Amino acid sequence: MDLNLDAPHSMGTTIIGVTYNGGVVLGADSRTSTGMYVANRASDKITQLTDNAADSQVVSDYVRYFLHQHTIQLGQPATVKVSANLIRMLAYNNKNMLQTGLIVGGWDKYEGGKIYGIPLGGTVVEQPFAIGGSGSSYLYGFFDQAWKENMTKEEAEQLVVKAVSLAIARDGASGGVVRTVIINSEGVTRNFYPGDKLQLWHEELEPQNSLLDILNAAGPEPMAI
Amino acid sequence: MTFTIPIDNGDAVKNAEADSQRTLYPYVTGTSIVAIKYKDGVLMASDMGGSYGSTLRYKNIERMKAIGKHSLLGASGEISDFQEILRYLDELVLNDNMWDDGNSLGPKEVHNYLTRVMYNRRNKFNPLWNTLVLGGVKNGETYLGMVSMIGVSFEDNHVATGFGNHLARPILRDEWHADLSFEDGVKLLEKCMRVLLYRDRSAINKLQIAKITEEGVTVSQPYSLKTFWEFKAFHNPTAGAEGSW
Repeated sequence: MDLNLDAPHSMGTTIIGVTYNGGVVLGADSRTSTGMYVANRASDKITQLTDNAADSQVVSDYVRYFLHQHTIQLGQPATVKVSANLIRMLAYNNKNMLQTGLIVGGWDKYEGGKIYGIPLGGTVVEQPFAIGGSGSSYLYGFFDQAWKENMTKEEAEQLVVKAVSLAIARDGASGGVVRTVIINSEGVTRNFYPGDKLQLWHEELEPQNSLLDILNAAGPEPMAI
Repeated sequence: MTFTIPIDNGDAVKNAEADSQRTLYPYVTGTSIVAIKYKDGVLMASDMGGSYGSTLRYKNIERMKAIGKHSLLGASGEISDFQEILRYLDELVLNDNMWDDGNSLGPKEVHNYLTRVMYNRRNKFNPLWNTLVLGGVKNGETYLGMVSMIGVSFEDNHVATGFGNHLARPILRDEWHADLSFEDGVKLLEKCMRVLLYRDRSAINKLQIAKITEEGVTVSQPYSLKTFWEFKAFHNPTAGAEGSW
């Protein structure tokens, strides 16, 4: 039994949830790896949410089922807090079996946009923004510096895309495309940012079709005499 | 409300995975709590950090909460277990109120309840991974006690959890005395918290001090302590040493 209590468990992924003035933006990478192999390079990790494979899916499926019943009985949409607490119930009571850290984000008419972090163990923490997954290790400093309150929807989404992109640059377990979901009073918008639409970071090069294109382009013009 | 995902692992005697209903290690943890009795009641201090292994992951966690009218509970250890304990206590207080008999749970009763809960979980090899500090005032009597994750329970004039036991208690043994004023009590706690900030790796510089008196509970706003770095010896410790500037 590994007892390195100082090494936090981390799942191969980057997930982010950010509140802004009017709602929330959720973001994630799209890589699912089994060991060193990328099993799915375009998975969708945002499903009320998921961060890696089986455990999160099981939890999400149960919660979706409970939330559906709750909505029928309540007669109106469930609040974000209720979703978070249902997830907590599963995460906490099955803490020995589940290895899943989640971020719950949503909008309801009472509290507006809210983000709840639910790490391993089943603690519930309401936060203005949350990060999780193995890629999040590289983002603590970034968010400490870049986060500010009351961003606009566009600023918040830019921040999330930039952050996931930075994490993908350094975390082998994160990769693929950046998916975002914006949730506000008007509804839900899904966005998709493939790798080639993202900004280049340190020591990354502009993607080319082939070396041949570079060689041909660099050929000097013959001197006109 | 509980929902355990139904999994049939079979015979718990022959099958090692079957008794997976035991907590093996904590994930998100809070560090020390320090508390003292003073003239009007109890003062308790804690920082607002939630560590995830060696990462200082959460910096806005309130680890002290009012329980009923007469008690204040502070917790270190696994935060999710603390949140569960608060749920148990919510139910306890609710049932106490429903009697509507003018009586209300005092700190002694709450402490006793918590001791039973912690000890019984320990006996099932499934502890709530916390050390709890319970302080309160009822009918003029001040009470301060603590319970550990294995059910060890006692009262004292000053208590501390975790690192606080090693760093704060010695200071309190020297400098605590009965009938401290509020100001002296706060200064004494801050002295302890500053030492913890210097020497406890999982401490963060954002703390709260809570007070409980006959009137009730107040938890201060979060604030930070100034730290001192101007010892001459800190400025250039390797000056004059071989192989240094």
